[in-house]
Amino acid sequence: MGGLFPNIKRDVVFPLIGVIVLFVAVVAGALLYQSILGGAAERLVTLMLINAILVIGMQIYVGNTGVLSFGHIGFGAIAGYTFAVFAISPAEKLKRIPDAPFGLAEVDMNPWLALVIAVVVTLGFALLVGIGLARSGAESGAVAATVITLALLFVTHEVARNWPDLTGGDRAGLSFRIGGALDTRVPVYLALFCSLLVARLYAQSRSGRLAAAAREDNLAARAMGVNPLVQQMVALLISVAVVAVGASLRVYENGSILPDNLFFDLTLVTLVMLIVGGRNSVTGALVGVVVMTAGRELARRLGQEGFEVFGIGLDGAPLDWVFRENLQTVFLGVSMLVFMIWRPSGLLDDWELDEWLYARFGKSPSVKPDPLAELADNTGPALQASGIDVVFGGFQALKGAGLTAETGEIIGIIGPNGAGKTTFVNVITGMVKPTAGSFAIGDIDLTTKPPFELARSGIARTFQNLRLFSALTVRENVEASALIAKEHRRGHAVPNVDAIIAEAGLWDHRDRRARELDYGNSRRLELARAAATAPSFLLLDEPTSGMSNSESLEMIEQVRHMAATVGAAVIVIDHDLGFITGISDRIYVFDQGQVIADGTPAEVQADERVRAAYLGSAGG
Amino acid sequence: MTELLQNLIDGLGRGSIYALLALGVAVIFGVMHLLNFAHGEMITVSGYAAYWAFQQGWSWWIVVPLILVVSVLTSLAIDQVAFRRVRGADDFTLLLTSFGVHFVVFSLFLLYVSASVKNFSRPGWVTDTYKVGSLRIEVFDTVVIGVTIITLLLVSLLLQRTMFGLALRAAAADFDTARLMGVRSDNVIRGAFGLSGLLAGIAGVFWLMRAGQTTPSAGLDPMLKGVLAALIGGLGSLRGAVLGGLALGMAEVLLRSRLPDSIAGLTEGVVFLLIALLFIFRPGGFVSVAHAERV
Amino acid sequence: MLEVAGITTKYGAISALRDTSLTVGSGEVVGLIGPNGAGKTTLLGSVAGLLKPTGGTVTFDGADVTGAAPEKLLRAGLALVPEHRRIFVDLTVEENLKIGGITASKSDRAELLEEMADLFPVLRDKWTTQAGFLSGGEAQQLAIGRALMSKPRLLMMDEPSLGLAPVLVDVVFELIESLRAAGRTLLVVEQNASRMLEVADRAYVLRSGEMVAEGTGAELLERTDLFDTFVGG
Repeated sequence: MGGLFPNIKRDVVFPLIGVIVLFVAVVAGALLYQSILGGAAERLVTLMLINAILVIGMQIYVGNTGVLSFGHIGFGAIAGYTFAVFAISPAEKLKRIPDAPFGLAEVDMNPWLALVIAVVVTLGFALLVGIGLARSGAESGAVAATVITLALLFVTHEVARNWPDLTGGDRAGLSFRIGGALDTRVPVYLALFCSLLVARLYAQSRSGRLAAAAREDNLAARAMGVNPLVQQMVALLISVAVVAVGASLRVYENGSILPDNLFFDLTLVTLVMLIVGGRNSVTGALVGVVVMTAGRELARRLGQEGFEVFGIGLDGAPLDWVFRENLQTVFLGVSMLVFMIWRPSGLLDDWELDEWLYARFGKSPSVKPDPLAELADNTGPALQASGIDVVFGGFQALKGAGLTAETGEIIGIIGPNGAGKTTFVNVITGMVKPTAGSFAIGDIDLTTKPPFELARSGIARTFQNLRLFSALTVRENVEASALIAKEHRRGHAVPNVDAIIAEAGLWDHRDRRARELDYGNSRRLELARAAATAPSFLLLDEPTSGMSNSESLEMIEQVRHMAATVGAAVIVIDHDLGFITGISDRIYVFDQGQVIADGTPAEVQADERVRAAYLGSAGG
Repeated sequence: MTELLQNLIDGLGRGSIYALLALGVAVIFGVMHLLNFAHGEMITVSGYAAYWAFQQGWSWWIVVPLILVVSVLTSLAIDQVAFRRVRGADDFTLLLTSFGVHFVVFSLFLLYVSASVKNFSRPGWVTDTYKVGSLRIEVFDTVVIGVTIITLLLVSLLLQRTMFGLALRAAAADFDTARLMGVRSDNVIRGAFGLSGLLAGIAGVFWLMRAGQTTPSAGLDPMLKGVLAALIGGLGSLRGAVLGGLALGMAEVLLRSRLPDSIAGLTEGVVFLLIALLFIFRPGGFVSVAHAERV
Repeated sequence: MLEVAGITTKYGAISALRDTSLTVGSGEVVGLIGPNGAGKTTLLGSVAGLLKPTGGTVTFDGADVTGAAPEKLLRAGLALVPEHRRIFVDLTVEENLKIGGITASKSDRAELLEEMADLFPVLRDKWTTQAGFLSGGEAQQLAIGRALMSKPRLLMMDEPSLGLAPVLVDVVFELIESLRAAGRTLLVVEQNASRMLEVADRAYVLRSGEMVAEGTGAELLERTDLFDTFVGG
């Protein structure tokens, strides 16, 4: 448990309480509504609860990865058909689909076992689609992944229509009665409760936190050691499993399945619910379900009773049945557009009930931790880079650059704008592939490794232009790194999250979102987040850029102390010679993509070439 | 051999329409990073315009230009009403906005026209064929391929030789810098929507000629094909979009004629599997456009 | 000609520029120097319309143009050669220049193209080459030529010598000299401070989003504390 959830009280106990509250509120409200309106409302309530399961399932993927999916109902269709094919009695199947492949027509199975099989089969498809999704998303952006999900939706529909041997085809479909449809709502209640709990627990778990980090800034997450492809896949599988349960229950409740049942209309309904409520929040998703169900019901009644707005509309009977049916669709489409244009993050944005409860009632008054002790012994292999060339288009950004950093050292890199300093750091962190040269820690060559593996090998970095996980709090930013460190930096001193935050001077801001921080604190958070990965080498790209003199001096102390406490060597880029000489043991001077000088601060300061490279010597 | 050749010609016909659709999608994606899920709405609206025109007793000679005009106007109107308001928003918002546009158009036709299929007469020559050796070639495919080639040539001339084309390419490459050089962002985006609408209109003429009917959701299928083809070809590349369209058409025709009868209905499923495989091995599509990340 | 009065520009919660003022008179060559992260590029971006200042005003030729769109400012006569050149790498040299002259009439544009070919002989040789294949120096000349195509009355350049070999840095400064000799008004951001101060009539020094010094090029060259401003104290 401890490895999966950083803080049991916050990540398990309170989510459980929050889920119970939400569940009771929704179910009690629904039952009250039903008891007022009587039997007519019964089906509406059941469908709303089932829709809630589907929407929560979608939220797990869409909310945590930030990738828009149209395909979840497609996965639902796979689940629904699998469920139906297994759950229907052989007698019924021999009538409807006698030629079903794999001898499926003779299978006789308890519906709950069929439900399990439906989930497993759907997960198999999700695994395959998920690989393509993640790969193309990583290459062409989330937009590409979205298209694949949309295609999946259409393809499952098309296959369902054109494979009558298995699905009963377009018109007949599969219908069945297993002792009547859903007799009681108990399975629906159970499934809804479980999906809420799964969604919240996942979001709070290690995997959910890493997925959220990648959602906020994919590149920065990779630089911290997160493999976004793996985290997206985990989110997809969990979310598809929940959707598969919801879709199977829907089929069970309907007592039949047709290709159109789990297709575009349901996709629209569930997506709008998710968007309107707030895709980044489970509470929001549930609120969206309730609000949109109520709204559609209202639209349906308006359709029945007639209305007039600005002289357009209908004045009572006789109403076109088409109109009555479709006013609901118009309501959905317009809601989607209105929210996209005026409030894309939905009603609740990322507000969660249990987080609010925790902040109010759960938090024990936290004590600012004591300053961390510096590590006494601090040995390990050195980082060595040599002969690094990088060519962009026709422009050679680096020409045979290299350096050596021993553990415990602080190395400065200076040079004018465009000298290749950042490019060099990008090479060492795997973000730019060198055209020649190599780098290694000890005798392990790392030249071709992707960023997240380099981070796990102990190379962490900060970014000059600030790449924080902006919607996450300061604490969550640092925690994401610490989770990586716990898993992949065993044997290294993994510092306490609170202590690192305090060390960086962010203690009073620990529960604020990163995007609300001012410039200096944003820089300090970059440092804290990188240090929390328990690196052996900490690469800092212009940590004092834009800071005042006094802030810079403070930063020097912080960098030095932070590095000593996590036992990391520091490689720091800065244009500020004062900062660099104040902090470094040795300095490398870059110009025109080459190392033009290196040595102790005093040697470098005295070097004429350095002054020339900086101010541009008169006459060139 | 003959059968393969036959498939290729049929595939080229189908793929040409997809290529026109994909090109329209790619033009918009290039300038505003919007993958337009409302790209099929031009065909839906034109379809109803065509239906209305036939009710008036007009012939295809008038209907074809009508479709083109309606398609362009629809495209511009959608930009004006919806996309203008979310310019510069994140991908998520853009995608859902275009999806919302689809649903609003869909619902309006549903409400104020009808959910039922509206039929109109197809031109007689759509089903005519002629023989070259042992190949049986559809007149329709011949026209489609011919018109597509001419369209692609004209589009490439437009992009290479006119100031508008230059501005469009510059804006697609680097929107801010293009504006710094005096390219008017509104004009370029409107122009892109106009061009995209025209391309959808040409594809729409063929689509409607072959279908001979329209419904409120008539635009979905062409939209999906266009978007998918643009993705297969490589998002952001116009050349890729055309290649993607042709490849998608070919793949569909080849599979449909080669798969055993029992699963011929599953062609789309198999094509999707192939696409999923393509993305596993070539995630950027045919013409991969490098997305430089600024660090 | 250009008057920037007390502008503040933010990225999110972060002020990159605080209450900064600057003026450029007609025919002047004004340098803007300062260390990395000082806000020089932000200042040019705020003037050119790429960034919207949250406070202060930008006045060009007496008209308030604060927050105007870049395409409007260009038509008003204000052009920017952006940082990192930002040439259109898939377009040819000629096409890049043509885009620069998008506001001109067709015949004017042809004339201007000819003018640029004379001004930058290296570009004439690569007229139909894709700009992505140009060397750094050629690309910089193209970027400047592209901006000149709009016949700007004020030309702003952001780090024109960035990433260039020393011999090409000379070319860039010679170009600035010749533009100055031709009576052009220039506002140039440069890292290469001493070279810039030699060619500038006046210069401003920016640090941490605030102006810390201003004066003629010669005056600022005398300032011994300048090196400290650059590399920290």
